[in-house]
Amino acid sequence: MSNSKEELIAELSRCVLEMEDEEVKEVAQKYIDAGYPAFDGIMSGLVDGMNKASELYDEQEYFVTDILLCSDAMYAGLDMLRPYLPEEEANAEKPAVVIGVVEGDTHDIGKNLVKIMLETAGFEIFDLGRDVPLDRFVDKAREVDAKIICMSTLMTTTMDGMKTVIEKLKSSGIRDHVKVMVGGSPVSQKFADEIGADKYSVNAVDAVRVAKELIGAA
Amino acid sequence: MIKDYNCSYDDMAMIDGDLLKSLGLEIPDVYMHADSMAELSLAVKEQSRETFCKLPFCHTVEAEAMGGNINYGDEKGGPRAKEYVCKSVEDVLKLPEIDFSRGRIHEVLLACRTLYEQGEHVVLQVSGPFTILNTLIDIRYVVRSMRKTPEIMKQVYWKMGDEILKFIEISENYGADMISYADSSGSVKILGPKMAAQVVEDFTYDFLKKVQRIVEGKRLVLLCPKTTYTLLGTEKAVFRDRKLSVPESYGEACIEMIGKVPFSGQMCIKGAQNFLNSAIFKEIAIL
Repeated sequence: MSNSKEELIAELSRCVLEMEDEEVKEVAQKYIDAGYPAFDGIMSGLVDGMNKASELYDEQEYFVTDILLCSDAMYAGLDMLRPYLPEEEANAEKPAVVIGVVEGDTHDIGKNLVKIMLETAGFEIFDLGRDVPLDRFVDKAREVDAKIICMSTLMTTTMDGMKTVIEKLKSSGIRDHVKVMVGGSPVSQKFADEIGADKYSVNAVDAVRVAKELIGAA
Repeated sequence: MIKDYNCSYDDMAMIDGDLLKSLGLEIPDVYMHADSMAELSLAVKEQSRETFCKLPFCHTVEAEAMGGNINYGDEKGGPRAKEYVCKSVEDVLKLPEIDFSRGRIHEVLLACRTLYEQGEHVVLQVSGPFTILNTLIDIRYVVRSMRKTPEIMKQVYWKMGDEILKFIEISENYGADMISYADSSGSVKILGPKMAAQVVEDFTYDFLKKVQRIVEGKRLVLLCPKTTYTLLGTEKAVFRDRKLSVPESYGEACIEMIGKVPFSGQMCIKGAQNFLNSAIFKEIAIL
């Protein structure tokens, strides 16, 4: 393998796309040893690979398992390159997003995919996990000054929890400070409108577009 | 090619709170004790005008019996995993075998017997390995192992599978004349066609052959259509038309087919009231 910056960046991207979570570390080490800027390796390499993977997911060529494995490779590469980011890049403020599956539901695969995509896109994610008590969305959003709350559910019986969170945001006086996006198979834009959410995202790839739109970065 | 079957989410109904109140039953009692389970199962059958009773009401029974940590739920949501108890697939292999003589799984069997003795047809709803694993371990570890250590994953499937086979076998003694088998957490939509096909090769096909030996001539297994499609898509099974005595509902047809065919799977069990105008029942014949 050549050690040119462009070729190593292309290799980083390929390793993510092809789920090579061990090989990506070797490539990342070569990239670091060559003294190339970590930021470019991350954005044009690792993140590029993840974006390609998400396109394939959108085209139903890649599936949930593939995305999870691609993200393993991406995070493995990130662990190597992140310590070499210049301080201003490492400390650059990223929009905070609180994400979780609403109380009563433990289906979290979709939420985990959204988390991966949003992190790739430059958001700082506070993942509350699954079966999240509704107050926790509000408390965490306040604690981290979240720009967005993402809620998901796969069950019709827990959808109303999303509306409750929005009502709690209002009664807490922070509804105007945070955008709310919702997702999950039984959820729709119509439902989002009914409960007063800002946006609905149809899948993990769409969630990035929606999140950027919500913070005015689209 | 394996097609996906789209679940009808409107049918993912929680237990009707009004029905519970009318019976004087409470959550989580109906998930935990045989007499409450049986009473509710019968009431649900009558309310839905179905032809059989179904038990249990959740998909956590097997995982709990293997050591899973379960939140029994409340009015907001049914039983679900509280915390994962396994941090690796190797941890899964160390889980204990199920003791069917105690705990909630035993209560489910006792409830089956109660309903059987009342003259009811009883469907025991069992879960497949991915659904059980979903309660025990973060799917990320499972997916990694599927790619990196497939031989270990095969052991994991069979660790689950052997317990499921025992559950199916023992349930005959408790009057469950039908079994429903579903593993939606391992669907092609999640795994992708390549991994889904591998699971059929490594587990599902041989597992269902063993199930067939247990139930043949005596009971009927209702396969989730997602499982049906994986078998059809990998050419491990075919549909075989069976003539019914009369046009009837899918539920009635299943009862008619008990002991005559081992597997059905043309529609979701939640579609039991759909009417088969053609009087044709589609057996799933494992090749």
